[in-house]
Amino acid sequence: MKKYILSTLVLVSTGLFSCKKNFLDTYPTTSVAAADALASTSNAIAALNGIHRVMYTQYDAQGQAGEGSINVFRDYMGEDLVFPLANGSTGQMTWYQWNNHRNVNASDMRFVYRFYYRLISNANVLINGIDAVPGPDADKKMIKGQALAYRGWAHFQLVQLYGIRYDKATVPNNQPGVPLVLENLPIGVGLPRASVEEVYTQINKDLNDALVLLAGYTRTGTAAKSNFNVNVVQGIKARVALAQQDWETAATSAIAARAGFTLMTNAEYLTGFNNINNQEWIWGTRQIDDHNTFFYSYFAYISCNFNSTVIRTQPRAINQNLWLAVPVTDIRKSCFDGNIGAANTTPVPPGGAKVRYQNKKFLAKSSALSVGDVPYMRAGEMFLIEAEARARQGGQDLAAQTALFNVVKNRNPAYIQSISTGQTLIDEIMWNRRIELWGEGFRFTDLKRTNAAMDRTGIPNHLPALIGVTTIPAGDKQWQFLFPQDELNANPSVIQNPL
Amino acid sequence: MRKSLLFLLGVMFFSLQAFAQKTITGKVTDDKGNPLANVSVVLKGTKTGTITDDNGSYSIRVPANVNTLVFSFQDKAPQEMAIGSAAEINVSLSPSEKSLEEVVVVAYGTAKKETLTGSVGTIKAADIAKRPITNVMNSIEGAISGVVVGSSNGQPGSGPEIRVRGFGSFNATSQPLLVVDGVPYAGGTSNINPDDVETTTVLKDAAATALFGSRGANGVIMITTKKGQKGKNNISVRVLQGSSKRGLAEYDRLDAYQYYPIMWEAYRNQLVFPATGTGISYDSANRVASGLTTRTGIQGLLSYNPFNVANNAIVGVDGKLNSGAQLIYGNDLDWLSELMRTGTRKDYSINFGGGSDKMDYYMSLGYLDDKGFTIRSDLKRYSGRLNINLQPKTWFKTGLNISGNFTQSNQASDGGSTSFVNPFFYSRNVGPIYPVYAHNMTTGEFLLDGTGNKFWDLGNMGGAMGVPNRPSGGFAGRHTLAETSLNELNFRRTVLSARNYVDIIFLKDFKFTNNIAVDYQTQYDGSYENTLVGDGAPAGRSSREYGSVTSVILSQILNYGKKIRGSHRVDVLVGHESLNQREDGQRGFKQGQSLTGNTELNNFTTINSTTSYLDRYKIESYLSRVTYDFRNKYFVSGSIRRDGNSRFAPGSRWGTFWSAGGGWNADKENFMQSVKFVSQLKLRSTYGVVGIADGIGYYAYQGLYSFANNANEPGIVQSQTAFLNRELTWETNKQFDIGIDFGLFKNRVTGSIEYYDRRSADLLFAVPQPLSSGALSANQNTATMYNKGIELQLNADVIRWKGITWNMNVNLSTVKNQITKMPETVPEFITGTKKYAVGSSIFQYWLRSFYGVDPADGAALYVANNTAASTTRRLITNKDGGVDTVTTSIANGKFEFQGTAIPDFYGSFSPTFSYKGISLSALFTFQMGGKTYDANWAALMSSGTYGGAVSSEILNRWQQPGDITNIPRLDAGKLVDHNGASSRWLIDASYLNIRAINLSYELPKMLVSKIKATNAQFFVSAENLAFFSKRKGLNNQQAFSGVTSNAYPPAKVLTLGLTLNL
Repeated sequence: MKKYILSTLVLVSTGLFSCKKNFLDTYPTTSVAAADALASTSNAIAALNGIHRVMYTQYDAQGQAGEGSINVFRDYMGEDLVFPLANGSTGQMTWYQWNNHRNVNASDMRFVYRFYYRLISNANVLINGIDAVPGPDADKKMIKGQALAYRGWAHFQLVQLYGIRYDKATVPNNQPGVPLVLENLPIGVGLPRASVEEVYTQINKDLNDALVLLAGYTRTGTAAKSNFNVNVVQGIKARVALAQQDWETAATSAIAARAGFTLMTNAEYLTGFNNINNQEWIWGTRQIDDHNTFFYSYFAYISCNFNSTVIRTQPRAINQNLWLAVPVTDIRKSCFDGNIGAANTTPVPPGGAKVRYQNKKFLAKSSALSVGDVPYMRAGEMFLIEAEARARQGGQDLAAQTALFNVVKNRNPAYIQSISTGQTLIDEIMWNRRIELWGEGFRFTDLKRTNAAMDRTGIPNHLPALIGVTTIPAGDKQWQFLFPQDELNANPSVIQNPL
Repeated sequence: MRKSLLFLLGVMFFSLQAFAQKTITGKVTDDKGNPLANVSVVLKGTKTGTITDDNGSYSIRVPANVNTLVFSFQDKAPQEMAIGSAAEINVSLSPSEKSLEEVVVVAYGTAKKETLTGSVGTIKAADIAKRPITNVMNSIEGAISGVVVGSSNGQPGSGPEIRVRGFGSFNATSQPLLVVDGVPYAGGTSNINPDDVETTTVLKDAAATALFGSRGANGVIMITTKKGQKGKNNISVRVLQGSSKRGLAEYDRLDAYQYYPIMWEAYRNQLVFPATGTGISYDSANRVASGLTTRTGIQGLLSYNPFNVANNAIVGVDGKLNSGAQLIYGNDLDWLSELMRTGTRKDYSINFGGGSDKMDYYMSLGYLDDKGFTIRSDLKRYSGRLNINLQPKTWFKTGLNISGNFTQSNQASDGGSTSFVNPFFYSRNVGPIYPVYAHNMTTGEFLLDGTGNKFWDLGNMGGAMGVPNRPSGGFAGRHTLAETSLNELNFRRTVLSARNYVDIIFLKDFKFTNNIAVDYQTQYDGSYENTLVGDGAPAGRSSREYGSVTSVILSQILNYGKKIRGSHRVDVLVGHESLNQREDGQRGFKQGQSLTGNTELNNFTTINSTTSYLDRYKIESYLSRVTYDFRNKYFVSGSIRRDGNSRFAPGSRWGTFWSAGGGWNADKENFMQSVKFVSQLKLRSTYGVVGIADGIGYYAYQGLYSFANNANEPGIVQSQTAFLNRELTWETNKQFDIGIDFGLFKNRVTGSIEYYDRRSADLLFAVPQPLSSGALSANQNTATMYNKGIELQLNADVIRWKGITWNMNVNLSTVKNQITKMPETVPEFITGTKKYAVGSSIFQYWLRSFYGVDPADGAALYVANNTAASTTRRLITNKDGGVDTVTTSIANGKFEFQGTAIPDFYGSFSPTFSYKGISLSALFTFQMGGKTYDANWAALMSSGTYGGAVSSEILNRWQQPGDITNIPRLDAGKLVDHNGASSRWLIDASYLNIRAINLSYELPKMLVSKIKATNAQFFVSAENLAFFSKRKGLNNQQAFSGVTSNAYPPAKVLTLGLTLNL
């Protein structure tokens, strides 16, 4: 007996009880290996879909749900989005007060920065790796084309916020822009800021490459319009050209972008700007119910009906001067309610406040569901880009008037084609951008690219107790976002904008 | 040791020799005269002996050639008695000489404390029994030097965070490894009924922990549960009945009368000092702020006028409250009154223990019903344990220790420090002018609903019935009482644990042990958010999460122990162990409640999310230990363990850990025999290398993509924290330890002094990445750091006079922590309020330097980073006549090291007075030095958040040019510059805590025996009696990192207890 036991024990000590060789190999079930992203083109398509998804997932804090949220931030900083109630929610008010983009520790401004670079990093994996992936060539072109478009667009969004505006008169624009990330660097390595000129050069290259690769690609699937096709890339090119004061490209690209899209009907205009199937939408996010982003959502901050504290107690309102100037025959006037009390028919959430000039342009799916599709590019904007570019180009006033007429006539059947010229015409077009694109994230960059002042003077529903700032002069250092402290901490090569 | 002793006795019974010539009887008692059962009585120089019965009596036959009896009992010192001609020998065994004779639990076995080379602290059942704690970890605080214990919060069942010998890790766990009955335990400490615990042992140094290899670097806490004693059948009953209250005062805050003028001033100053351009004059601004113009006045910003004066007459243009103003609903401003209650605690246990020669048993049942001092926070625990050991053959022994418990609990929502549902955050920060219930805003009377009941003022009545919205800072549309009352946050947990061992003794000196340990835990978490108010409104939402953890540990251990030629003893252990842990779970989350009253998912309409997961964690190990003992005088030990860990890549996952130690019992040397006052003196020293990997994620080295479907199209996206790092490996801890244990004056004074130097290298950290890389952090091995310290433990019977004893136990520890090396690729990095770089420490604050307040305009000033001229630069002449360049823009504030959260020293003292059966003891814990970043206070010092509560300290703010103060001008437009994170929020972290006071009375034996009991004790106990810190309300014991948060405050618990042994 004892011998038997002893021999057993000797065996024990020599490793009979040792585990199998692969005992220590474990793998997660809620993630996949990074290498799998480039294992096949169908996996790479999934990796592309992932980028579409993070355009609207939630980030670090409420009110941070991707591009839609940043659209709201940009509009807070203009004159046309109003916090109407002195005792209402102060949620996100620091944007309205021009504090947040200058507070290096603010969670929201960190989110803005990291959001775009997250897109770029994911895009770079596909751009630099897809060529070696086995699979159909058409798929590879589509994937690479979309990834390039993402990278170009994201750098464009960044450089507009962090760099001093592009000025065609001072080419090359050597002022510092943002880190230009074209490949994913080793862990811990950060890049310095490239010049604004370099960034724009790369943006244009990426977009042009994308156009070549995406030629012939047709978007499909349940979230088709969240993909980049030639139209979307042309639309971005038009925006970039506008920012670079390249009027000809802006106009031609805008025309190319809207090809195949029709303006929505007046009835559709009042359905809440939350449906990607709208015929006018060129590009947007499709959000389904179980991708709910709760209080993070775009609609939790810009809708009139979602039951968030912000919407309930600080409903979004429009600059009353802007609204009062909209003709009653213009459908866009009905996106806001000029009444108070019972006459105000805004579908507010339970207990929600009603105010004059209240927004009802945007509707969440219900007071309990902040879900909704987020608009990023509509044909209407393309008409306005074309009009603005032609008007600023000089000698193209008729083309400008016509482009403007094409869109405004749709909104206001009583509209008569403008006969204005020069600055008056430009002003009319810019005024239309404000009323047409309210809440869609264009006002801050429109002011910045045109080197205009932000001026809330004389707009009665802006409350002096809340706004923090009334005017920001053109060219002021406050037009530049500060880089978040977390970037400076980990990447000392980034030089902060003037404080 | 005790096991083998009892076993030895068993053997002796069989081989009882029949050559006795006379019989000696007697009685063994403790120093108080209580009979001691189970004491071994052995004929010196033989293996023959007996044990005492329940009355402490024995009877033994003694051959003529034996003239000495040896009495030994558990941890008490063996005592030799000459036989002579006496027929009766009575012995009193004194417990005060125990300290170096104890048997202590060590890795994979037990050891006589005398032979230990490592640093080990022990807490015994008796120490735990008299404290009304529901989590056994709470008994560690103040009991062992070198161990820091965070305050456990008042959430029922919660246990404290514990750090042994400094702070070893950044992102890997810093918690010591928890080992229950010899096996690492994956469950929480609240699963263990404190009454089942025989000893809690803290292994501090590397030699003591090295056999736990890759998991032992932060120390090991070993819990050993009770077992039955042979020859003694015992029933023990413990009944505790207590009540609890909030144990920490609230911060001092302004009341409604003080509040309005302060907010008025914040508004007025905002108008005078605008962000851009020129402001309006003081005169105009005063009028605007008072509400005397067409513009919004302060009442418009605060919404509520709690006074019996007009809205524009609350604060005058002089900034003073209207002298006639009286509160109209002053009786309804206390948000805490209905949230708090007097908690109750019932803790009952009964256990049965006993045994015979071939078996022993222990069985216990426990019931805990703990209602916290906050509504909807309670815990019920039902627990049971069965521990049986059998020895059917002399060479074969086996045992099974099974325990199970079921816990159900409602939890207060203190998870998010600043989340609206957190009742502590809400009640601390809501302005003092907002009532809990809706009031008629003119008369102040309660508004009543159709059935005549008051209703909650949710803060978003929107003017209905004249009740306005609260402003954002006053938590519009949120209501902590309503949400706490209507929401649900609960869990049900079932835990089963089993430990089985089989010992086979062979070839005389060998023992083979096979261990199987299975721990299984399931937890079912429910959460419901109501339809009326809060995040769930108006639809209502509910989630259900089910998770389980199964951990199987198998080990095979071979022990060899031999005494060679009387004076040498060698013990060798070799073994193999594997951990196989599996975690899985699923969660469903829906919204859209259909019918009221049912919070299960079927009653909701829309799926928000459904998820599930399965994770595995595995470790495989080979281990060995050798100890050598020469004449109980010199000791040498060494151990080695090789671990493979699934968290690391195949090429990096194996690590080797080892230790060596030596000890010298100097008091056993001849030359010490003349030094009479020294009764014990031991010198010991160890060195070892131990690792740590737990806490960094199961797949730490892998590069991953997460699932991210786009609508219904399959999608994946790069993880922002998981990047492939095949080199990622163990953190290693090299620790040197030297200590002296001593006993003086017949061990009336005992103690130890120890020094340790613990060097941690390759510290695992999720290193923050440039945001522009698209990553947030990447797991890397980074810094090298040391923790050094001195630990002093002293226990003395200061007075022993006519039955009166005053015992004093003191321990003091220092810890110095410093980072000595950073990798070249990551020379420094910053997270939160800390920066890690060579020369800094793990808790070194890296904050913008607050400079003070400009007496000219009350602006907050910071030491300027960029000193070039700008609109925010100011030049201030300092005390020495020099000029300091400062800035009013916090964004230009200079980051500098600002001291550390680690105290200079910490410790405890606990006096015990006893007289006959009465004993009064106390435990005081304290720390000196270090700094706390009081984030809770910072939030109360806002320079103008309309609707938010304000600290009373704001009264010392800057008010007019020339004011010298450290509190900037109130200014609602300057929240970023005046209130941002800076060195301004640091405060001295010293504290003194009256942790526990206990009065017990042991009934006289005569009385007790009348009820057939052997022992009965009553006690009254108070926990967390008072806490003294540098600021009222500040709990700087809350987090080792020094940053305060809005957590459930500790509970002050008063308990009556009874223990009865039958």
